[in-house]
Formats: sequence, structure tokens, C-alpha cells
Amino acid sequence: MATAVKSIELQAVEARYHDVDHVYGETRDIRLLGFVFFLLADCLLFSSFIFSYIYLRTSAPAWPPFLDGKQLPWFDTSFAAMNSIVLFGSGVTMHFALESWKNLNKRMFNMWLVATIVLGIGFLLGQAHEYSSVGITWQGTTMGASFFTLTGMHGLHVFIGVVYLIILGLQANRGVYTGSKYFGLTAGTLYWHFVDVIWVALFFLFYLW
Amino acid sequence: MDAAVFERIVAFLGAIIVGVTASFQLKNEWKVHGLDAQVTKLLLGLMAFGCVLALLASVHFLGDHHV
Repeated sequence: MATAVKSIELQAVEARYHDVDHVYGETRDIRLLGFVFFLLADCLLFSSFIFSYIYLRTSAPAWPPFLDGKQLPWFDTSFAAMNSIVLFGSGVTMHFALESWKNLNKRMFNMWLVATIVLGIGFLLGQAHEYSSVGITWQGTTMGASFFTLTGMHGLHVFIGVVYLIILGLQANRGVYTGSKYFGLTAGTLYWHFVDVIWVALFFLFYLW
Repeated sequence: MDAAVFERIVAFLGAIIVGVTASFQLKNEWKVHGLDAQVTKLLLGLMAFGCVLALLASVHFLGDHHV
């Protein structure tokens, strides 16, 4: 009986796009919940490393720590602030991309998606520049180990996100998604926002604290 | 121009543009219902907060001891 009664939302979608898939409509929320649980699990992964870093830092006698009798340098806040804005900007463009898709504007969707990918690659190049000029290594100190582990893990997420967005773009242009069926794009947008938000925490912990 | 000054100017201007845009996106999303909309609101809000952090860093209010 429950399946016989269409939800108001489903009726609205059907009226607008005429390509509604009932199976999709019924399973979308379950898949979305699964994806949100995936993001929460990823959040826990980052949290465990972040709390390790906080513990190591607060229990250290001096910060930045000393290596061979010399205190290590702080990280470059100016460059990190600029690079952060590149990543946050990509979150905004990704949101615009999804909104363009919802409004059935494929040209603008492609434009915003490409902008997101370019900004994501720009952030990764910025991180590569940071790694080459930071003046510390992975080994030797808890500062270096924490920094490279956390930012490296985040960078891996950004890289996977860029690949994910490229695949989504290809799928969208091959007709995999329609005006009412675009769960992949929603998931991609949530993932990208998640990656942005993780960077907010890392930016504060390594560059501002 | 010193590279650090240039980076802070870009961060300052970018933080305003991106932060204001994210806030408007959050405002537009505010009345939308559903799990994806709720998660998006949370993430957009935190992203706007990140822009505030970048803005404060660009004017030496935060992270100044790192210089």
C-alpha cells in the first residue's frame, strides 16, 4: 500500500522531468544514507590522526620541536591561506555545478565542473610546492610525521576527488544522469565539500594554532 | 612585491569572495529539506567558517606567531 502512494516529492519530480524511475526514487535515500555513513567513517579516520597530533603537540616540551639542537621552522601561513582559498573556492564552484545540473543547464554545469577540477589540481600543486619548501621531513620529529601524514592523507583524498569529478563529468556528458536521476553528482558534491571541511581543521591546526 | 604580501592579498580578497558566495549558497539551501540538503548546509557553513579563518590569517590576526 505504501508503494502505491507516491510521495509528493516523487510526483513533483515526475511532473517536471517525465523520466522518473520508481526504483531510483525508492532507493535514493538509502544510498544517500550509506554515502553519509561513508563520510562519517572517513571523518573518524581523520579525527583519530588529528587527536594524535593534538596529543603529541600538547605533550611536547617545545613546539616546534628541536632537531639536532635547532628549533624547526613554523609553516608558511601566507601561502597556506592562499592555497586554502583555492580549495574553498572549488567547493563553491562544485555547488554551482550541481545547481546548474538541477536547473538543466548542462553548459554551465560543465563550466563549473571544469573550474572545480582545475582548482582542485591547483590546490594539489600548491601542496607539492609546500612539501618542497617546508624545510622538514617525514622522519625525525613528531611535527614532520604529523604534518606529512595528515596533509598527505588529505591530499590523497583531494586527488581521488579530482579523479572522481572527472569520471562524473564524463558520465554526465554520456547521459548517465538525467534531470531527476543524479545521485552520483550529489555524492560527488558532498564528497568535495567534505574534503574542503577537513582542510579547515588541518589549516587551523598546522598553520594558525 | 614580497611573495608573502602577495599571498596574503590574494587570500584576503579570495576569502571575502568565496566566503560571501558560500554564505549565499547556504542561505539559498536553508529551506531545502532532505538529508543531502542538511549535510550540505553543515558543510557549507564550515567552509564559510574556513574562509573567516583564512581572512583572519591574511590580516595577521591568526597564525601571526608563525611568521
